[in-house]
Amino acid sequence: MTFDFVEPVIFALLSIGVIAGGVAVVMLSRITAAALLMAFTFLCMAGMFVLLGAETIALFQVLIYVGAITVLILYGVMFTKFGDRPRALFFQRQTPLAAVFVAAVAIPVAIIGLSFTSATSRPGGGDLVALATSVFTDFAFPFEIASVLLLAAMVGAIVLTKREDPEEAALRRRR
Amino acid sequence: MTVPLGAYIVVSAALFFIGCAGVLVRRNAVVILMCVELMLNAANLALVAFSRKYGSIDERGSVFVIFVFVIAAAEVAVGLGIILSAYRNRPVVDVDEIHQMRG
Repeated sequence: MTFDFVEPVIFALLSIGVIAGGVAVVMLSRITAAALLMAFTFLCMAGMFVLLGAETIALFQVLIYVGAITVLILYGVMFTKFGDRPRALFFQRQTPLAAVFVAAVAIPVAIIGLSFTSATSRPGGGDLVALATSVFTDFAFPFEIASVLLLAAMVGAIVLTKREDPEEAALRRRR
Repeated sequence: MTVPLGAYIVVSAALFFIGCAGVLVRRNAVVILMCVELMLNAANLALVAFSRKYGSIDERGSVFVIFVFVIAAAEVAVGLGIILSAYRNRPVVDVDEIHQMRG
């Protein structure tokens, strides 16, 4: 008895999870539910990375997307207490334009995507060694740039969200 | 009977355009950020799929995924910072209502 049928079944379940989660994020007017469903979508996506044999990427996906980014988004939801206007969610000026744009770009991409069917899969196995070798040899400089970018983003986020000290503001106004 | 590459690409494209439609249709700034994250993640799936199926020994496509992770983290941090500081000025997260970005 072979277990060849397992991989397509898992893939089908994960893709249903990804697509349904994405649609729910777009459609739901309750933002907290949308944020949690976004985390669910990211988890399904991590499962897809495991299916592709990229376990390290799946680990990063869970750590960064499901962990950090979802928490950040939830903080954003917590601090801004306003929902979308629920009635006006899909009937507004830009909706027809958005539909035309998405259809015009999506249909060619779907046709091109469906044409990739003949590639054979590489043998599986851990991707950590190859990944680390690439990062620390060919991509060492962009890697350092990325760390600088993260530092700049961190400082920028702190500066942007810092509450202004009233005394300091008054002092500055007096100057 | 393994899953063909085209199936991954179709899922990736579908998620990307779901996110794209969300960015274009939704007006809540936080939801727009979430939809941008969905689009970035869809691009990640395409990169990993091509890297695993077409790549040689090394993992160049997956390296780009790591950079996308970095960009996504930076983007969401700065984006939320901007949304929160705009919200402090005027308690509005509707991007149609935020007309001016001056402090």
